Amino acid sequence: MPRDTTDLADRRTLLKLTGGAGLVALSGCLSTTDDGGDGSDGDDGSDGDDGSDGDDGSDGDDGSDGDDSTEAYEIGMVDSLTGSLSAFGERNQRGVELALSRVNDVGIDGRELALAVEDSESENQGGIAAAQKLVNQDGVPFLIGAVGSGVSLAIYESVVEGTDVVQLSQNSTGLNLTDFPGLLRMSPSGRSQSLALSNIISEDGYDEVAITYVNNDYGQSLTDAFVDAYEGEVVYNSPHDQEQQSYSSVVSEMNSSGADAWLFITYQAEFATMVNEVFSSGYEAQFYGADSVSGDNVLENTPEGSIDGMKIVVPSAPVEEENYQSFAESFEAEYDRQPTSWAAYAYDCVINAALAIQAADEFTGAALQETVRRVSGPEGETVTSFEAASEILADGGGPDDVDYQGVSGPIDFDENGDPVGFLQVLEVQEHEYEGIDFVEG
Amino acid sequence: MTVLGYLANGLVFSSIIVLGSIGLSLVYSIADFANFAHGDTMTIGAYTALVTFGAVGGLGGAVLGLPYGFFLALVVGIAAAAVVAVATEKLIYEPLDIDSIGLLITSIGIAFIYRAVIQIQFGSDFTRFDIRSLRPIEALVPYGVRVTLHDVAIVGSAVVLVVGLHVLLQYTDLGRKMRAMADNPDLARVSGIRTKRVKLWTWVIGAGLAGAGGVFLGLFNQLAPRMGFNLLLVIFAAVILGGIGSVYGAMAGGFLIGMINQLTPFFSSVVEALPIWPGWLATLLENLITIEYANAIAFVIMVAVLLVRPNGIAGEAAT
Repeated sequence: MPRDTTDLADRRTLLKLTGGAGLVALSGCLSTTDDGGDGSDGDDGSDGDDGSDGDDGSDGDDGSDGDDSTEAYEIGMVDSLTGSLSAFGERNQRGVELALSRVNDVGIDGRELALAVEDSESENQGGIAAAQKLVNQDGVPFLIGAVGSGVSLAIYESVVEGTDVVQLSQNSTGLNLTDFPGLLRMSPSGRSQSLALSNIISEDGYDEVAITYVNNDYGQSLTDAFVDAYEGEVVYNSPHDQEQQSYSSVVSEMNSSGADAWLFITYQAEFATMVNEVFSSGYEAQFYGADSVSGDNVLENTPEGSIDGMKIVVPSAPVEEENYQSFAESFEAEYDRQPTSWAAYAYDCVINAALAIQAADEFTGAALQETVRRVSGPEGETVTSFEAASEILADGGGPDDVDYQGVSGPIDFDENGDPVGFLQVLEVQEHEYEGIDFVEG
Repeated sequence: MTVLGYLANGLVFSSIIVLGSIGLSLVYSIADFANFAHGDTMTIGAYTALVTFGAVGGLGGAVLGLPYGFFLALVVGIAAAAVVAVATEKLIYEPLDIDSIGLLITSIGIAFIYRAVIQIQFGSDFTRFDIRSLRPIEALVPYGVRVTLHDVAIVGSAVVLVVGLHVLLQYTDLGRKMRAMADNPDLARVSGIRTKRVKLWTWVIGAGLAGAGGVFLGLFNQLAPRMGFNLLLVIFAAVILGGIGSVYGAMAGGFLIGMINQLTPFFSSVVEALPIWPGWLATLLENLITIEYANAIAFVIMVAVLLVRPNGIAGEAAT
């Protein structure tokens, strides 16, 4: 009997521990839901002040006026190197490397640009920790980040807001970033995608649609905007969690809804799983998708022909423009593959940052806030490369004398910090993405 | 989709969970700690099979839509998972010589190491076995059952492995020693059983089954460095529901959890059809019993079962 009781106690401890460890493991996931009023914000805010102290500490930068300093300008980047958005992170890093080499071939007033990259693990907590390190310890005045919209917003609210640090998100398309004018982004808002999708589905003659979206800020906001804009009837509308091992319930419910048009607002891995389950269940439907379901990894990991006819709206670089083509050429030479628009956004973030630094009087957040919008704003001479823009600035031009046209679009941040974006409509033909149309966002 | 269809989906999904949960329970009962690296052991099996299958190719023929090479890859995957687990036991768990709580925490660290190594090697993106996807079996579609030959292969292989383990535990010398050790390690040792050797065999079998589960998970869905870890919580739920330390309980628990997970759409349509009174209760249930909360529903049922049987389904009976 005594053995039995110890056994029981063991089990109980184990249950507790398992639960506890499970909670720890889950806590990361939980935080992906957006919690604006995080209690720790206040503290973080004061940390932010420390961060600006750090900036003061780097007063040595003022010495750069004397042009004799050779220390590199260091800015920070929070990227999804691991986690569910790591595919975006990989693309970003290619664009970033290319942009850094472009900038450092020319130099900024004789100095180099250095980029400290930290991993967000594609989650809010990871993103905040990474941003805190960059802003508060390294004291960077310019922060590129992040990929996921929830992560960008979490960083802005916990670390950046209330400081002079410039935050420029490279890939976030969530709608609610528009409500934060201090948070700039290079990729256009998802609202334009939702509008374009609702128009396309209506034009294709479908008056009923089934939607499934990823259960986070991004999926929810795009879906809400779609439902508002769509003229037909939404007969099925259900969220799903990320990284589940099976979505067969989702696809079977979409099939039962009777809609012939299915809209997916989710990520590549989840979408690929769903496509395989649709295929192996033998369902047929016309697919539509937001940009986040497109990617070579989806094509590689879905059966040939399983998504033919699918239409996807992606924020697109103006691929017919000359500066994009030269970017694509050097990208292919470097990486032996086609660039994605996500690489182009990251590329433009770095170039825009470099120009802002060169145009600014000193290397501080406050000074960069003054220039970051103006170097790519609609005023000034239109230039398409860092080299050309840098020449104008070196000849004594101010930030308003330059209008950098990015490889991802004209940039031109509006008062909400959103860029003017281009959207491309892709159709899957013979298991390849083919551009069939352009829409301006 | 009919009830039969959902049951069929549930059977396939359960097979994978059962393979994972048996190994976890076996290791718990004999090595005496909850191995959090178990999910990532599954991942190791899956990726080893991916590499092996890529190297050997189809090897000519095919059974159930799966080339011979895949079965070879499955065996190599099982072996690799077992080897890695034994190496970890020999190099880390054994020399550490700490209590089961310490080992539990250590295994969380080990899980991160496994995953990091896989991520360094294969990147963080997902991938699939280079096997042509199949359409559902035509003959079953009229009954609302939409499963492919691959699904049949998964269930069949899982049944073979589970029956094999049952035979091993009940009718072989090693099985008897393992059961003896699970019951009372000290007594087993005193009576002349080489407990260390039995422990190693436990690791081989537990991790091997996990490896097989990982390979099937990759075939069923896709391979990603987090695949095993993402399933680990469900596996733990299955093991605890079944009664931790009990192999047969783990089978039952895995089966139940997998079934509930896949049957949620059916539950939700039942709730919609039932005349529930009062109206607010009907609305509440309709909102709660949706696929969005499939895992939560499975866990609620787990808690309910544990309230009635605190030691899990298999109760007192160990192994």
